[in-house]
Amino acid sequence: MVKAWIRGSATELDTAIAEAAKLLAASRMPVIAGLGTDVAGIRAAIALAQRIGGIIDHMHSAALLRDLDVMRESGMMVTTPNETRLRADLLLLVGSGLTEAWPELPARLFGDANRRIVWLCPGGAAAQARALQNVSIIGDDTADLPILLAALRARCAGRPVAKTPLAAKELDALAGDLAKARFGVAVWSAAEHDELTIEMLCGLVKDLNDNTRFSGLPLAPPDNAGGAQQVSGWMTGFPMRTGFARGYWEHDPWRFDATRLVESGEADCALWISAYGAHSPDWKRKLPLIALGADPDRKRSEVAIAVGLPRIDHPAVEYLTATGTLGAVEARQPTNRISVADAVTMISAALPEAPPC
Amino acid sequence: MLTRLAGGRVIDPANNRDAVGDIFIRDGRIVEAPPGDQADETHDVAGKIVMAGAIDIHSHIAGGNETLGRLLMPELRNALDVVHPGHVPQPAGAWNTFETGHLYAAMGFTTVVEPAVLPHNALQSHLELADIPIIDKAALTVLGNDDFLLNLLRGKESADAVRDYVAWTLATSRGLGIKVINAGGAAAFKDNVRSFSLDDEVPGYGVPSRAIVKALQRAVHELGLPHPLHVHCNNLGLAGNVETALATIAAAEGLPLHLAHLQFYAYGKEGPRGFSSAAARLAEAVNAAKSVTVDVGQVMFGQTVTISSDVLRQFNARKQARPKKYVIFDGDSNGGGIVPYEYRANDFYNAVQWAAGLELFLLTNDPWRVFFTTDHPNGAPFTAYPDIFALLMDRELRTQWMTTMPKEAMEVTTLASITREYTWPEIATMTRAAPAKLLGLKDRGHLGPGGVADIAVYALDRDKAKMFREAALVFKNGELVVRDGKVVRQSFGRAFDVRPQAERAIERRMRDYYDQRYGLPLDFMSVPEAAIGRPDPFERVPCNT
Repeated sequence: MVKAWIRGSATELDTAIAEAAKLLAASRMPVIAGLGTDVAGIRAAIALAQRIGGIIDHMHSAALLRDLDVMRESGMMVTTPNETRLRADLLLLVGSGLTEAWPELPARLFGDANRRIVWLCPGGAAAQARALQNVSIIGDDTADLPILLAALRARCAGRPVAKTPLAAKELDALAGDLAKARFGVAVWSAAEHDELTIEMLCGLVKDLNDNTRFSGLPLAPPDNAGGAQQVSGWMTGFPMRTGFARGYWEHDPWRFDATRLVESGEADCALWISAYGAHSPDWKRKLPLIALGADPDRKRSEVAIAVGLPRIDHPAVEYLTATGTLGAVEARQPTNRISVADAVTMISAALPEAPPC
Repeated sequence: MLTRLAGGRVIDPANNRDAVGDIFIRDGRIVEAPPGDQADETHDVAGKIVMAGAIDIHSHIAGGNETLGRLLMPELRNALDVVHPGHVPQPAGAWNTFETGHLYAAMGFTTVVEPAVLPHNALQSHLELADIPIIDKAALTVLGNDDFLLNLLRGKESADAVRDYVAWTLATSRGLGIKVINAGGAAAFKDNVRSFSLDDEVPGYGVPSRAIVKALQRAVHELGLPHPLHVHCNNLGLAGNVETALATIAAAEGLPLHLAHLQFYAYGKEGPRGFSSAAARLAEAVNAAKSVTVDVGQVMFGQTVTISSDVLRQFNARKQARPKKYVIFDGDSNGGGIVPYEYRANDFYNAVQWAAGLELFLLTNDPWRVFFTTDHPNGAPFTAYPDIFALLMDRELRTQWMTTMPKEAMEVTTLASITREYTWPEIATMTRAAPAKLLGLKDRGHLGPGGVADIAVYALDRDKAKMFREAALVFKNGELVVRDGKVVRQSFGRAFDVRPQAERAIERRMRDYYDQRYGLPLDFMSVPEAAIGRPDPFERVPCNT
């Protein structure tokens, strides 16, 4: 059973698809945003963006781009959750949002009693941190993190530091522990850190490799953000916030920020995709909105189509945090609810002109 | 529908043909000249060269490491545009899957092999391959730094066990063949080993690199895989590493073995800087070792990004990155390293590398055993191929290039003394007939009846590079896809795979192993056909019996 609405009134799927195609065809600058969907949905959305000269942006682009900015400015050393689980003799956990980013983290990484854990600034996760064995908790407030990391990196490189939130002795002991690790892994979630903090952490990891082995494990944001980044990477050559408005792909994190495009009035139509949950766009300005979602906002949308939940209603390929790869997942309770990929492909087929070569 | 390509010079070494004549196409295949039958469509190709579609056996076009490269080096798109002086800048470069397919097709390539697919990342590699239009593709599955194999070898398990594991991995990852990359080196690097050679042991396993290569070579041979074990040797890029390459060639011991991007191992320690071309010596060894095949990995000048699952080598090269950024990825088995690099004609070392590659092309004497690659994008992006063809076919052009390079670099190579020029039949052998044979693609790489109608037509031009850059006509499965270097139809090809026989008990053993070691069900690494998102995405290649 398909559920579709036009301006709040229930309608047939085909009618909703035709209306969505009409809105997109009439648009001079459409944005395809949210992009909380499986790999098939993202592939279809990017193909549609190419067809209509649209812009693609993911609801968690900001966090994705913080890690990516560090990578493409100065580089990064990273490893997989599996290698971390098997090999890490020291885990450097950074910040308070790790188990939020990866709920299975304790089950996957905390089991090994020989594994030393250093938790920097656990903040709200302090109680969880204290319950662990073999753990050192350093700092509390994440506001201290930038200076702590900078001091730690300086001491690891044998450079002097001025006053830090940590006693000099404690700081040196910690630097010594990192240097003694045989295969240490730093774990962080870009959702809670700015670029400079991440860059300092990644720089520390790189420095440590001059003598020992150390790597990083960045945790991807939810809603298949990691998958969206990969698909966009191969289909366009760029990450999120990329557009085909001029007939070729261009990437600009500011120019192609969907919220900015809508608020500034540059965008005149939006296709919002949120198949994993009821996320709504965070822009305030009103514009013709087509919503594909698990529970789409039918009041706010010109066209709303209820889609299936990837890996519940239909099989899906998505970024798996447990392996750090794209994986194919079977449907848990298959239904005939339409997938984002099918809905977007139908919209594309309902557009007036034939697709160019 | 019957299509006729009329009056071209048909160069088809697989069928000993080099003569002016016609080619007929029906239902996507090449057919005999039908008596009295009128063609529905005729293309006048008089004065043009007609060859089978070209096949690239080693080009990193798809997978997590490539996309990591795209994300690390968004600026490379612009750099690719200026690879060719006089080339009209393209708004989009070769840096996404769609452009990759279009640019390959425009040069008359119809099949390309992605040579480094990590089993745990196979699904992404195949999704990326599926988004490369027009051309057919294949994946080589990487083994040799994986715990399971190293354990088999440490435990001195039977050759049968290795064979079953190789067969299972190929089936799971949908590979056409097996590649080994610095055998054991990536695993050793996780234990902080910083240099690793053919007779070094992987810490914790006590297994030497050589034993890994030999075990895989034997398994590949006994399984009847058409493509021999594809080897990325130890010590890539280091002065004096010709010894490693020579030792690896000797280790073939008369069984088939393919050595990838040999140019990167053609270095001696002679000359004022302790770095010289040893390509002449290496070419001699290749000529003598009849069971060995090689591809060159030619270097060309300009900005590129090196992408390799030789994590150790990439880590050791990190401080030479141009620009100064890199990603080093310790994967479940091999992982990868992405290090941007700009090869410069006025750089002594880069000039020696360029010359060494050309020496290998020109001093090896059997175009059936020497393959045309740049190890894209490691020696150069594949968009540089046309210029390399021109250099191989024209010694005057080589001389011109050499005058722009450091004299002391040219003095530690033999390039200036080489007069050979590749002929058209040699080019056709090296890029069509021989690759099809090496990969077991019986209906590709030739223009005989029954062959798939993958055909490239080139208009003769004094500028040979231009000729190769913009094929006059390209047919894929009998359909016209390129005219005058422009894509006129975007079709989608398939990925070749093999499915050798294996004991079914291996499945249960793998399930237990993944459960014990990783605490994961096997399914996370599966590549279901339905997940690829294109109809009929695979084509099975038979194994030798």
